[in-house]
Amino acid sequence: MTRVLPGALAALLLATVFVPLGLLLARSGGSGDWLEAWRSPESRHALAGTLLTSGGASAIALALGVPFAWLIARTDVAARGALRTVVTLPSAIPPYLWTMGWIALANPRSGWLTLVVGRERLDVYGTAGIAFVLGTSALPLVVLATAAALERIDPGLEEAARLSGAGAFTTFRDVTLPLIAPATLSGGALVFVFASASFGVPYLLGVPANPPAPTLTTRIYAEVLMGEAGLARAASLSVQLLLVAVGVLAVNAFLSRAGRVRLSRGKGGSARVTALGPWRWPLSSLAWATAVAVIVLPLLAIFLTGLMPTWGQWGRLTLEHWSLVLQPRTLAAAGASALLGALAALLVGALGLAVAITRRRWLETLADAPSALPGTVLALALLVAFSRDVRFIAFERVTFVLALGNTLWLVLLSYVVKHLALGVRAASDALAQADLSLAEAARLSGAGRLRAFVDGVLPQLHGALVGAALLTFLTCVSELTMSVLLVPTGGDVLGTLLFELQSYADPASAAVIASALLLVVLSALVVQNVVARRAEARG
Amino acid sequence: MTAVELLEIEKAFGPTAVVKKLSLSVREGELVALLGPSGCGKTTTLRMIAGLERPDRGRVLLSGQLVDDGATFVAPERRGLGMVFQSYAIWPHKTVFENVAYPLRLKRPTDVAGAVKQALGWVRLEAFGERRPHQLSGGQLQRVALARALVGAPKVLLLDEPLSNLDVALREELRGEIASLRAKLGTTMILVTHDQAEALALADRVAVMNRGVIEQLAPPDVVYREPATPFVAGFVGGANVLDGEVRDASFVSHGVTFPLPAGTAAQAGPGTLVVRAEDVHLGDGGPALPLEARLFMGSATEFRLALGASVLRATGPAALEARPGQAVTVRFGRAQLFSRRGT
Ligand SMILES: Nc1ncnc2c1ncn2[C@@H]1O[C@H](COP(=O)(O)OP(=O)(O)OP(=O)(O)O)[C@@H](O)[C@H]1O
Ligand SMILES: [Mg+2]
Repeated sequence: MTRVLPGALAALLLATVFVPLGLLLARSGGSGDWLEAWRSPESRHALAGTLLTSGGASAIALALGVPFAWLIARTDVAARGALRTVVTLPSAIPPYLWTMGWIALANPRSGWLTLVVGRERLDVYGTAGIAFVLGTSALPLVVLATAAALERIDPGLEEAARLSGAGAFTTFRDVTLPLIAPATLSGGALVFVFASASFGVPYLLGVPANPPAPTLTTRIYAEVLMGEAGLARAASLSVQLLLVAVGVLAVNAFLSRAGRVRLSRGKGGSARVTALGPWRWPLSSLAWATAVAVIVLPLLAIFLTGLMPTWGQWGRLTLEHWSLVLQPRTLAAAGASALLGALAALLVGALGLAVAITRRRWLETLADAPSALPGTVLALALLVAFSRDVRFIAFERVTFVLALGNTLWLVLLSYVVKHLALGVRAASDALAQADLSLAEAARLSGAGRLRAFVDGVLPQLHGALVGAALLTFLTCVSELTMSVLLVPTGGDVLGTLLFELQSYADPASAAVIASALLLVVLSALVVQNVVARRAEARG
Repeated sequence: MTAVELLEIEKAFGPTAVVKKLSLSVREGELVALLGPSGCGKTTTLRMIAGLERPDRGRVLLSGQLVDDGATFVAPERRGLGMVFQSYAIWPHKTVFENVAYPLRLKRPTDVAGAVKQALGWVRLEAFGERRPHQLSGGQLQRVALARALVGAPKVLLLDEPLSNLDVALREELRGEIASLRAKLGTTMILVTHDQAEALALADRVAVMNRGVIEQLAPPDVVYREPATPFVAGFVGGANVLDGEVRDASFVSHGVTFPLPAGTAAQAGPGTLVVRAEDVHLGDGGPALPLEARLFMGSATEFRLALGASVLRATGPAALEARPGQAVTVRFGRAQLFSRRGT
């Protein structure tokens, strides 16, 4: 088994990710064709749009994230734990939900905030709006990386600066900031990658904008809709998107290596808390006001839009639209999403475990890689590879037909491949910490290899695997970027249904479904917390 | 002239008082060691002098100037102190040269390079200026920390267990380095340590701390020869500390009656008797105690005798014929009695 398993897993990954990726590249033509395609004005416009919105998103996430991280990690800001929960909440909620909230708040004609500041004064559509929504919904990437670095710095390093004659601000500038910079910038790089790969936000905010603000992902989508002719152009655009992601991730890998050297001498968890003194209330108020404005308000707007079709008519709060949740089409989409999510979670857990127990670094790297692919690129590769039935002919007579094109199976495949890294990392970290003597004890008492693994090791991995599966379920249930390209015509998953209602027909109904989805996500978060805490109590 | 003066400072973390009404005055040019067991409040006291921690009550004065009394507070960067941290605290993102130059750069003097070179010379690291901290050994890092703390010519140098992370050989070497630097620069120093050899070797005066109070403040030989309390005797000299009662020129502990040596100031009643291991004579008359173990220590042999549930330690000649299990007679050559009135 130990010799067959790695090979089988590698073959599976090659067939479902790397061969399709190769086919996509082949479809895009050679490098000459790429240059040709990239030189077109539409393509240049889209690339500029991606770079601008992603750069803007990183800038916003850094500008908001570093102060939040400092307050959370190092000060006695009011309700510190609650503030941490609120500013890290966006990591669990799909970004297009935020977009829906911001459209309700800040569309130029009837947004609630627009009405406060004056019509046409506020416009969430366009490049700036896209950058803002992406930046705030990626806030946790910067906050968590920075807060972790701040907590790991040896407090002596900062105290030594004080004793050398530096004031509090000079110390922050000369010592703290250089020490957290690698971690923080690496968080910023991840925001960039996340933003450049995102589809829902730039579509909902960029396409209706005046003038339109295209990005690579929305451009690829538009090309795919044009059919065969568009597919080649979409393929060459996706090469561009892939290069952006790979380039930024390479920079990021370099930065995190630098960061490790710098923080390695710190003693964990010994950071001291700064008393803010007279600044405590002004800073706490400012922090909370910002957190409420960028995180709580848009979520609230979604709930309220579902309850109040026309803004301001508080007397006409109604649950009328909620009946929509029970319509057959909604139920079918919800059922499909739940089923796909559950299957994906199961497979991610199982395959992640399988990859981890082979203990082969190269296989883990191979399984991790697809998570870095922009969803649009992965979906397009699968689309190209499996658009026709794949036939295997064995023994010259028996023909297997693998008909994945235009089915939900392809959607499931994309979910599993994209999130496999979650399962691999969880299983591999847990395995590294597991006490293998339990399995050895089981073998000594006469159990076979498999039995010893199941009885001795698996229980120790259980918590981590459940956590990874839950996270997979949560992200898949509301997945949009890949679904929009892969879900067969006539079918729906929750993401595509919401997307369609929001962009073409009926924002109020979209808000109702979004509210229901939010309720599911928030309660799942609570469940996940409980599971994690119980695992901690047991470990 | 006093360089540092603490007046009845107190500090509690939550419900636990860590420093209790502690007063200390350090003369200019003096080296005072704060010596005590782990958790007795040494670091906290040092941090209050530096301004990294605020006392709950009491006053801190530097060169006669009030720097902290609750209302007044002079920030650490404006106290003109140098400090060496137990964790080295060398900035990993700066070179050795830049680490040492930093305090000078904040003051904008004229010749930074010259002063840094001189400071690196003091700790014999002239050749290491362009190195990065992760390319240095622990002992070299600690010397960079010393140079950085001294480069700005601080009024007082605070050292928090500067040698405890080093191996024995390096510790000896750096101990010598600190002593010679002090002779050269005449800087006032406060040294925190839990290593009595370090304190006794380096300090002009030793402040022995226990549970947030100074039990004795005296020159090293006085602390060693005339401990003021049983705790000091036990911690500094490694003496036997016996609880018991004085009866007719004898001391009764754990049911065994020891004749008190002539000249011991004695007063009938409960008391604590302190006897150094080298003052316990074996096989020379007196009560007999069972031998538990003998440990060969090189120049001498330590004998451990059972006294009730505790142990009486004696050093004696290796030639002494006694095997574990045998009873050996015990006589005290010199002892110090502390009476416990009211307890
Ligand atoms: N920031 C803090 N918060 C709470 N308790 C603290 C804090 N700093 C120190 N203490 C406690 O105060 C007591 C004295 O600490 P201190 O660091 O002064 O001891 P120390 O004498 O330096 O000990 P060591 O030799 O182990 O360094 C300890 O019990 C410690 O746990
Ligand atoms: Mg200490």
